[in-house]
Amino acid sequence: MAVDIGGGVGSVASRAKGLLTWEKQEHLLRLVILILAAVLSFATRLFSVLRFESVIHEFDPYFNYRTTRFLAEQGFYKFHNWFDERAWYPLGRIIGGTIYPGLMLTSAALYRIMWLLNITIDIRNVCVFLAPFFSSLTVLVTYALTKEIHSTGAGLVAAALISIVPGYISRSVAGSYDNEGIAIFCMLFTYYLWIKAVKTGTIFWSAMSALAYFYMVSSWGGYVFLINLIPLHVLALMITGRFSHRIYIAYSTLYCVGTILSMQISFVGFQPIQSSEHMLALGVFGLCQIHAFVDYLRSRIPKDHFELLFKTLVSSMLTLVLVVGTLLTITGKVSPWTGRFYSLLDPSYAKNHIPIIASVSEHQPTSWSSFYFDLQILVFLFPAGLYFCFSKLTDSNIFIILYGVTSIYFAGVMVRLMLVLAPVMCVLSGIAISHLLAKYIKSVDAGGAAKPTDSKRHHKKLEQQTGGVKSEVAIGFVGIITMMLIVYTLHCTWVTSEAYSSPSIVLSARSHDGGRIIFDDFREAYYWLQMNTPEDARIMSWWDYGYQITAMANRTILVDNNTWNNTHISRVGQAMASSEEKAYEIMRELDVDYVLVIFGGLTGYSSDDINKFLWMVRIGGSTDRGAHIKEKDYYAANGEFRVDKEGSPTLLNCLMYKMCYYRFGQMYTEGGKAQGYDRVRAAEIGNKDFELDVLEEAYTTEHWLVRIYKVKDLPNRGV
Amino acid sequence: MFKILYLFFFALQCLLCTSSTNAEIINTNVERLLDLSSQLVKTTIKISAEETTGKPITEYVFLVGEPNLSFISLKDDTEKNIQLRKNKELINGEQSYTIIFAKGSPKKSFAIETVSSKNIRPHPEEIEQNDKQLVRYNGRLYVYSKYKTVVQKTNVKLSSANILSHTQVKPYTVGSNKINLGPYEDVEALSEQELVIHYENQTPFLTVNALERTIELSHWGNIAIKEEIQLTHAGAKLKGSFSRYDFQKEGRSDHSAVKSYKTYLPASASGVYYRDTNGNISTSNMNLVRDFIELELRPRFPLFGGWKTKYTLGYNVPSYEYMYNDGNKYQLKMHLIDHIYDNMVIDEAVIKIILPEGCTNVQFSTPYQISRRPNQLVHTYLDTIGRPVVTFSKSNLVESHISDFTLNYSFEKVSLLQEPLLVSGFIYVIFLFTIVLLRLDFSITSHSHKE
Repeated sequence: MAVDIGGGVGSVASRAKGLLTWEKQEHLLRLVILILAAVLSFATRLFSVLRFESVIHEFDPYFNYRTTRFLAEQGFYKFHNWFDERAWYPLGRIIGGTIYPGLMLTSAALYRIMWLLNITIDIRNVCVFLAPFFSSLTVLVTYALTKEIHSTGAGLVAAALISIVPGYISRSVAGSYDNEGIAIFCMLFTYYLWIKAVKTGTIFWSAMSALAYFYMVSSWGGYVFLINLIPLHVLALMITGRFSHRIYIAYSTLYCVGTILSMQISFVGFQPIQSSEHMLALGVFGLCQIHAFVDYLRSRIPKDHFELLFKTLVSSMLTLVLVVGTLLTITGKVSPWTGRFYSLLDPSYAKNHIPIIASVSEHQPTSWSSFYFDLQILVFLFPAGLYFCFSKLTDSNIFIILYGVTSIYFAGVMVRLMLVLAPVMCVLSGIAISHLLAKYIKSVDAGGAAKPTDSKRHHKKLEQQTGGVKSEVAIGFVGIITMMLIVYTLHCTWVTSEAYSSPSIVLSARSHDGGRIIFDDFREAYYWLQMNTPEDARIMSWWDYGYQITAMANRTILVDNNTWNNTHISRVGQAMASSEEKAYEIMRELDVDYVLVIFGGLTGYSSDDINKFLWMVRIGGSTDRGAHIKEKDYYAANGEFRVDKEGSPTLLNCLMYKMCYYRFGQMYTEGGKAQGYDRVRAAEIGNKDFELDVLEEAYTTEHWLVRIYKVKDLPNRGV
Repeated sequence: MFKILYLFFFALQCLLCTSSTNAEIINTNVERLLDLSSQLVKTTIKISAEETTGKPITEYVFLVGEPNLSFISLKDDTEKNIQLRKNKELINGEQSYTIIFAKGSPKKSFAIETVSSKNIRPHPEEIEQNDKQLVRYNGRLYVYSKYKTVVQKTNVKLSSANILSHTQVKPYTVGSNKINLGPYEDVEALSEQELVIHYENQTPFLTVNALERTIELSHWGNIAIKEEIQLTHAGAKLKGSFSRYDFQKEGRSDHSAVKSYKTYLPASASGVYYRDTNGNISTSNMNLVRDFIELELRPRFPLFGGWKTKYTLGYNVPSYEYMYNDGNKYQLKMHLIDHIYDNMVIDEAVIKIILPEGCTNVQFSTPYQISRRPNQLVHTYLDTIGRPVVTFSKSNLVESHISDFTLNYSFEKVSLLQEPLLVSGFIYVIFLFTIVLLRLDFSITSHSHKE
């Protein structure tokens, strides 16, 4: 696909003769390439649907799916006022005020429109295919953005590149129904409209970009990046002396309209004028006014008077801002910097201070290899693109440079933000490839220039190329680029198919004879809960599975993936890490009916609860009530975390251990190994023969992946 | 108080019965086969009746004598021109049927088959995982009849040789998995004696609580069938915990827990899906066996006593096998319900038939009585006025109820063109709209064009 575009733009068009004029041919070609790229970007995300089924993936998407279903069934007002008593027992959660509703509203709107047209599609399918659909739109927007910044050719290459870039696919495969799926589209769309606004300086475009910004705010918390990047752009323009009325109009309109609109989202509320993350935007807005005012004064008063005025104004303003800022921070009007934001600036912050943030794998710093894995040749083309932008600096180029540089920093801090980096990588690489190809492809044509050229325009182009390179060199160069793009295509397809297309709710493995084994244990367990437990049963599990349990089992849970209440999660961690008697007290206190654990020891599924257990200990021990839980008690004498005989007695007798390994000591798991051989930890478990006093096994799935226990009632008196 | 009243009516009824109707009929020989080997009670009763005074018998009143009757029929091999009519009044609190013979003769012999559900109950009601499921049957030792019986015997077929206890009225013999009761001689009319058998029965005690079967008809050659099934294991409830270790270690097939069961589909079924609200249930096998498809369905989890599950099974069949037409008249002949598992019990079935858009004159006939529900309209792909839906329901169904209904309707063949025309018209309008839009200038200011 990408190859087609690399070699296609020049050569195919030049050879085509006949009825169509040059413009029409170009138009048609552009249209075909864009449509192909959009279709490809949709199709390449369907691996998981074809291999498994049309199913929602992972954890967070299940929450989004559940809320979308609610919205589609009950309507917007019920949704907005929804108090969810299924989550965070006994606290509950006000859904309407604690989510970014853009995603749900988008799919519910699509769903309603389709039903209006008698297309009776299931809401689940709307959710599953929403992300691929929006990635198709992203392809189109990328084209428009790059075209605004550089040229049509660069736009087409960037569109083709982004259609298959793994860094973006990782968050937008079919079934990955998460905010990011539509947010990237919103972000690029806002950028496109912003660039338009900067270029034209009209209120129309900046108001449009404010609307796009509103959509972005409604769909993803990452809008903070956007509302810092645009002011940064304005600031950079001021410093480089490019500030003009166009910028003034564009930014003032965007900021005012955008901020007011963004405050309509109840989850955002007054943050845009209170929290420190938004202060850059506010400051730049003020600066804009001052700059414009100063410009006005400069044009009206003599130079020396102006300088005096300028100095006094600047110093007094700075003092005022400082004083007011400090006052607001002290009084708490400006919210303190949140932990997630600190970890952006200082990657080690979270690890040292907030275990719950550090425990999420997608909050870890990015490794070098994953840059190459997710972006491949874009990593090398990115600096080239930056160079080309620098070599011909314009207002819009400065924007893309800033976007590139800041996002590469953020992507380095947090794996998750690779998503923000991928589009700009594609844009800059598109610029680089297009620039290079445009230069060399002419020489390729010149080499075989025997062909008569009908078109005047084409002839002119040929004449223009003075100082061209030899055609052999050009052919060689174009060949290399083509090869790189082919390799890129293959790599992207391979990564998508191997790494990003597993629904993680259904696992598959290869058996010895090459057949495919499906582990469908999660859904087995959740469906069992839904069918065979009382409607109001409360289920305790580690927070990772909260969203899935509420969505698939429709039961009340204590903690879920919306990790807003640290102490509550900590309490669950304490229950898991305590001995049976102590855990029973905690479970009685929390009204737990069932406990659910994930155990991979039989199948070798490594992200199970025992491997997550140290996080439970850390989080459990991080609050006052869990002060008695100390991480070092759970390590063996030599400082390792082991589950075999060498393991620490505290670990071998805690609730989590007992629930995972109950009756596992009698199982033969692998040939040639003793009973109770744990295939994940590669060790024979240390505590085999024990009975549970306060729990009873309620259900264990076929491959023992999910084990559910019922909390026994208090014993009758006198028994 | 009520008891007295009841007794009074009882006496009155007895009086009425004996006095008014043909008291002269006697059963000369009654043979009953009682099949208790599954969760259903299947009874076959062969009756030889005689009119003592020599008058021809034209009517014979048959008393059902057991609750929850699902199905009753006269066996085919007996004489023709014989009818079964349900009586409205209860006799002795029991349902009764009148058998009407077209040709009367003083001696008659015939056979009646009945199937009833939920008369075999688990006893004890709760068992542990590895316990055997024991059940108890409460019935009648003597065939309940309005007439005096000269000689009768009952052969009981059981599911296993493990019989804990049974009513011991001599003479009787006990075989490996059967009990022969009788012959009992000179049993008076309406005499009652309890029969209790307590034995081991490990066959699946599955009950379909609710079945919703949707048949969607298309004149383009396809019939889509979708069955939403809610299932309960109605046997002895699981007491205490479920241990996966024990369950895997045992691996017995005669366990009362249901791991899987077989559903038979028509041989031409294609595009079969088996799913629930959480998506596809990946554990099922499909085999083509001569003239039907055998589908081995495994629920997501094994069903122990008291456990429930719910799923959707759907497939397509080509319409030429079930639809006939003559000009504008169409006829659909299909199974009202279909096989779900052997010896199935369905508490309540709702059947919806979605006809193509524009069908009129819908006429409907069924092999047995059903209750019609109001007609509806559904709107789905490419519909304008909506498709008519015929809905009806029936409760307490068993396998014997699998038989065809007939649905007649008329449909204008020209209407078939409506959908393709709609699609092409829509696309045409889009193109037209685009063409017009691109050629018009909507800007409010006048700016000079380059061309």
